[in-house]
Amino acid sequence: MNLASALGWCVSAFVLAATAGLLASWLDRKITARLQWRVGPPWYQNFADLAKLAGKEVLVPEQSNRLTFLAAPVLSVTGMTACAGMLLLAAGRRLGFEGDIVLFVYLLALPPLAVALGGSSSANILASLGVSREVKLLLSYELPFLCAVIAACVKAGPTTSLARILLFQEMSRPLLFSLSGLLGFLICVVVLTAKLGYVPFDVAEAEGEIASGALIEYSGILLGLFKLGKAMLLAVGPAFIVVLFWGGFGSTLGGAIAGFLKCLVVVVLVVLIKNTNPRLRIDQALRLFWGIATVAGLASILLACAGW
Amino acid sequence: MTVAEQLKEALGNRVMRLETPNPKRVYLTVSPEDLVEAVRFVWQVLDARYVIVSGVDTGSQIELLYHFSIDRKDTFVSLRVFLDRNRPEIVSLSSLIPATEWIEREIWELLGVTFTGHPNLTHLLLADDWPEGNYPLRKKTDGA
Amino acid sequence: MGLREKALKKSLWVYHVGASPCNNCDIEILDCLTPRYDIERFGMVLVGSPRHADVLLVTGIVNRKCVLRVKTVYEQTPKPCVVVAVGSCPCSGVLFRDSYNMAGPLDRIIPVDIYIPGCPPKPEAIIAGIASLLEKMR
Repeated sequence: MNLASALGWCVSAFVLAATAGLLASWLDRKITARLQWRVGPPWYQNFADLAKLAGKEVLVPEQSNRLTFLAAPVLSVTGMTACAGMLLLAAGRRLGFEGDIVLFVYLLALPPLAVALGGSSSANILASLGVSREVKLLLSYELPFLCAVIAACVKAGPTTSLARILLFQEMSRPLLFSLSGLLGFLICVVVLTAKLGYVPFDVAEAEGEIASGALIEYSGILLGLFKLGKAMLLAVGPAFIVVLFWGGFGSTLGGAIAGFLKCLVVVVLVVLIKNTNPRLRIDQALRLFWGIATVAGLASILLACAGW
Repeated sequence: MTVAEQLKEALGNRVMRLETPNPKRVYLTVSPEDLVEAVRFVWQVLDARYVIVSGVDTGSQIELLYHFSIDRKDTFVSLRVFLDRNRPEIVSLSSLIPATEWIEREIWELLGVTFTGHPNLTHLLLADDWPEGNYPLRKKTDGA
Repeated sequence: MGLREKALKKSLWVYHVGASPCNNCDIEILDCLTPRYDIERFGMVLVGSPRHADVLLVTGIVNRKCVLRVKTVYEQTPKPCVVVAVGSCPCSGVLFRDSYNMAGPLDRIIPVDIYIPGCPPKPEAIIAGIASLLEKMR
């Protein structure tokens, strides 16, 4: 693969993930509005938000660490672009790309990590409060997430290659239809809600409480990039879960459309969880992830080892 | 025994005036020196709930009312003290009832009453650079 | 009208500044977000930080303690931004205009773009004010 085609691949992955993400974010806002008996914004709303943010002044706090402050939003978006690009490669089984699952787990942790980095470089007390909560949340939900991923790897192999997991699902049935796979899928959906910072896990970005927490000092295009990274996670996250547990996108057009609908199901699940739950306190969220979720994750690994 | 009778029995000649305009309401006037004794009786012995302190500039004096509620007996007791308008001073209740700390700050900054023994007599509602000696809720008697 | 202005009109993020209000206007502002009036369909959301805001909705007479804070919030808001005086208090001060604590009305402290009088203004009046703001931005 030469430089030109690699660049082209990056750009198309970015455009695809960004568009899909912004539209998925719109779907979230529209469903939320309908559930609250409201009308909700038009389909182009998130694009307008981004364009507006691009036109606003960027204010950088004097006492902040300039490099980290400016780099954090860029990190969020590039991480998501990389994840999207590699997901396309692995799902399309191109060029013998195996799709190491550890890489995906790492990349999917980037948006919340970037928010934590940005917030900690903001030189603001409220931001550091938000950052401490975000990092605690990150430490807590990575554990059950890893358990679910390991369970999928064990069941489909054992293998750590996303391409091989897809192959296994094509040969037999999607991991979702096994007990360990079902547990893993549910854990991953809940962890995705936490990664996105949606209720019930939005304690890090609690608006009324700590004035937007970690992102309090961000304005203009930097804020726009953070919002874009979060939107891209709403597109890439469900795609990853579908590829891991639900058979992915297949190699035919019918398969691709089915895959797209499966992603929509995951997005709708996240939105419904968001709208039917109150916000959890940080200690309640930690107890949930290190308690029930980890036990479920370990159970799913054991079930996968036993062949269920 | 009604609350009014209990107050008369316990405080004796410290009671300057006792009014009960209706069965649920008691106004007890005491001198500023006897205030702590009266508050201690109402708050601890009668087991009343402290409500708030209110103050007004009557033109000739500054009148402070300490309000307590005896919920069991459905009675509201107010202790009234009159302070000299030129040098209004009274002992602070914040060591006895911590909840009075902030209202005493407010009365100090708006009416100019000095609470002796108060741990933190600074501005609460008004801006920190409010001019000294300017007490907004004092009546303007000289037409200024 | 360039893309910048067009995008700004379609996505106004609102930050509420309470400069010692009596809170009735604040309740009416929150009413606008409820299903009956729903200003989110115009792209308006309530944000938590002045740095994310395009519109500052200011309520209350500005009392002496608030002056510095209101100015700071205005400076912290990235331009272009719009200041809306909601309620009769920031517009003129009404019955509080001779009060000892009055440092307003609002346009003595920060530049104001739209005045929405009322005590409190109904959500319909607030939405009409915002609509005239969008007209003015053309």
